[in-house]
Amino acid sequence: MIEFTLNGKTVRTDDDPSTPLLWVVRDTFKLKGSKFGCGAGLCGACTMHIDGEASRTCVLPVSAVSGRNITTIEGLGTPDDMHPLQEAWVELSVPQCGYCQSGQIMSAASLLKNNPNPSSADVDAAMSGNICRCGCYVRIKEAVLSVAEQGLSYNAAEEIKA
Amino acid sequence: MNAKNMSRRKFLQTTSVVGGGLIVGFSMTGCSTAKLPIEQSDYGFVPNAFLQITPDNIVRFYCPRDEMGQGVTTGLGTLIGEELDVHPKDMDISFAGVHSDYKNPEFGVQGTGGSSSLRAHYIQLRQVGANTRALLVDAATKDLGVSAAEVSTEDGHIVVAGKRYPYGQFVGTAATLTAPEQAPLKPNADFRYIGTKFPRVDAIAKSTGTAEFGIDIDIPGMHHAVVRRSPVAGAKLKSVDKSVAQNMPGVTDVIEISSGVAVVAEKYWQAHMAAAKLAPIWEDVALAKVDTETVRQDYADAMKNEDGVSDTDEGDVEAGFESADHIVESEYWAPYLAHAPLETMNAVVRIENGKADVWSGTQGIVAAQGLVSRFSGIPVENVRAHNTYLGGAFGRRGTLTHIIEATEAAVASKKPIHLLWSREDDIRNGVYRPASLMKIKAGVNDDGSITAWHAKRVGGNITPKTLENMMPALFPGLGDGTIDFMVGLSRDVFAGWVVDHTSVEGLYEDYDTANKSVDHVTVEHDVPLTFWRSVGHSYTSLAKEGMVDELAEKVGMDPVEFRVRNTQNNPRLNNVIKVAQQRMQQMQPAEGRYLGFAAHNSFSTDVAEIAEVSVEGNKIKVHKVTCVVDCGIAVNPDVVHAQMEGAVMYGLTAALYGDLNLEQGAIKQSNFHDYPILRMDEAPEVEVIIIDSGTEPTGVGEPGLPPVAPAVASAVFKATGQRLRSLPLVVA
Repeated sequence: MIEFTLNGKTVRTDDDPSTPLLWVVRDTFKLKGSKFGCGAGLCGACTMHIDGEASRTCVLPVSAVSGRNITTIEGLGTPDDMHPLQEAWVELSVPQCGYCQSGQIMSAASLLKNNPNPSSADVDAAMSGNICRCGCYVRIKEAVLSVAEQGLSYNAAEEIKA
Repeated sequence: MNAKNMSRRKFLQTTSVVGGGLIVGFSMTGCSTAKLPIEQSDYGFVPNAFLQITPDNIVRFYCPRDEMGQGVTTGLGTLIGEELDVHPKDMDISFAGVHSDYKNPEFGVQGTGGSSSLRAHYIQLRQVGANTRALLVDAATKDLGVSAAEVSTEDGHIVVAGKRYPYGQFVGTAATLTAPEQAPLKPNADFRYIGTKFPRVDAIAKSTGTAEFGIDIDIPGMHHAVVRRSPVAGAKLKSVDKSVAQNMPGVTDVIEISSGVAVVAEKYWQAHMAAAKLAPIWEDVALAKVDTETVRQDYADAMKNEDGVSDTDEGDVEAGFESADHIVESEYWAPYLAHAPLETMNAVVRIENGKADVWSGTQGIVAAQGLVSRFSGIPVENVRAHNTYLGGAFGRRGTLTHIIEATEAAVASKKPIHLLWSREDDIRNGVYRPASLMKIKAGVNDDGSITAWHAKRVGGNITPKTLENMMPALFPGLGDGTIDFMVGLSRDVFAGWVVDHTSVEGLYEDYDTANKSVDHVTVEHDVPLTFWRSVGHSYTSLAKEGMVDELAEKVGMDPVEFRVRNTQNNPRLNNVIKVAQQRMQQMQPAEGRYLGFAAHNSFSTDVAEIAEVSVEGNKIKVHKVTCVVDCGIAVNPDVVHAQMEGAVMYGLTAALYGDLNLEQGAIKQSNFHDYPILRMDEAPEVEVIIIDSGTEPTGVGEPGLPPVAPAVASAVFKATGQRLRSLPLVVA
């Protein structure tokens, strides 16, 4: 039995400890916002926060997150109460197919938490692990930088909703 | 039954089922006797309708096309909302189920592709909106005792003397009236939503993880299936020792299915781990002897030794060459490519009490229904197909073998099945953009006129394989033998008699010359082929635009000016080139950066692109792409902008990285480490200039792609003097 915190709630699973966190969250806890894209940590669609840091969960055994604090896109914001990054994503019509966007937003939230005033190159460095096959990169960067300009505290925003 | 009675019948029937509300069907199929989905199912409510308006004023739009990122819910919602006077953001938009009313007017089947949705539905959905609005106005005059002249409409409300009444207030009366067939459409000058920018209607769902994709479907009792398939396409299973997988935790079934071996388990990861333990042995097929080098050699031999089949022959090409001051001849290569949508193929199939449900994000939900019917033996009227959001498609989600697999697994295991492909499955077991060898020979005079143009393409055709995949889906009752016969016939026809036009489209059309010919030689290696974003144009543009650059160089003309001179017969393309030329003249690239230019017409849309490129060592860096597009009226200019951005990135991935190779018949690449996709640090700035137009919309999903590779190649030539004629582009 492995216990961890998922979007502020304590959860327990008896899934095999080698099961990647992504599948435990999707199949056992039924949170479907985090996506499967490659199964090899190459595309970022599965990105969640582990103790506040963006992490690839399609290759991370659930045993590695025992006792840790996991935030998924569902914990970051909801349609009625969106995180500022999500609001920027909507405002700028960032998504096309939308499949990668949970991972993109989780990576962006982690970036802004660590670096509230990123340069364009900082955004490239932090976001280049996330593939968008529709090619929304120009807008993703614009959205991240527009939120950074507002100078909000992402750490606080995330903690409140988690 | 006349049309009038028919529409009345539909209104009354559907109204009684939903318990109030107005359903608008408008007999798109005339007086078809096809049963309505609502009569076929006891699963709930599936109206034969585009619109439903409830008494509490919810305006529901059943979107007939599939949303794969192209913004179709926003675009089609705008068409119907414009005439109905309801903002698309205020509509409740659902994906339509299967019914003949939802056919793509351009294809005649319920499918999405070919950059067709706005083009095909532009008048139809506006007419539905206008007719519905007229009906509501008619009802309001009766309920309020006013004349039509006193009534206007605004934001889902009837307005009389400054007072607003929600549409929902009038649906009861409206359901007793007869809707007009041809209510007048607004003139362009009155458009409120068409032509304006507003956020996509699906942006909130797609930014909060709440948009439901096929992979997200989760139903009670559902088990998960993973399939082991032959690494070489078409090889059948010879034998497998199932016991190693059978005894793994969570595994309930190990089943032989038509594509290989399916492992069914309680959870996905259990199925994945167990499937990895299997060591199936596959039958030998001819493809297993084929490497990419074999393909290239076979194509080169065919190019040299075979005349092929004529697709186009205009004027007197030989005379044109004889009169030319110069003749230029070059060969171009494009490899096989995978689509690699980020959501891998998946489907959920449930079979219960002689009925079936299928959930999957597809480019043709009717085909999902047909395949489940065919492979379960359940009549189509008892198969309910549910579309979801598509996590990318690009042509890939027109081929639905994963639905066959899920159906076979559900039948054999007697469990609801969620079947998912891995990324490796996606890259290695897919259907591909065909490889192509192209040759163009052109004559040019010193004054810059093209005297003759001969193009020849060698490669496989997409139509026979597409028929092979689509016919069992669209005609579930047709026997295998008949389908095999028809597919075989199409293969023979395209190999020896007529050209599959998708194989050569874009090779010759755009530039002026009286003397043109196109020949095609079919060489197949049994690699499964299909549509890939912009189809034939995705490879022919490099050859056609590359040759135009070479002709301009030959006669010492500026390549853009050469294009202006030679597009007099294509005024819209000519204008796009001229607008891009003006933009290019304003650009002052930094030292070490070069501007390349290309233009191309596809899907009735004209696009010119300017690529700003530097080459350091042998690395090509694309800094900026400017895209000038004439797609008729831009229904939502921001969506057009986004599609151009996306097509540039998709095209750049192909131009810089895209290469899929065969090794003993198997695809060598497997995941994003060896089949790379452009990432943010490589992504250029994209500038989009949309030509102001009031004409009917043409395609936007694909036409931004074809000019990308030739524009970059053109810039690389300026930077290095090297003409790159092979994809992906590699500097020596």
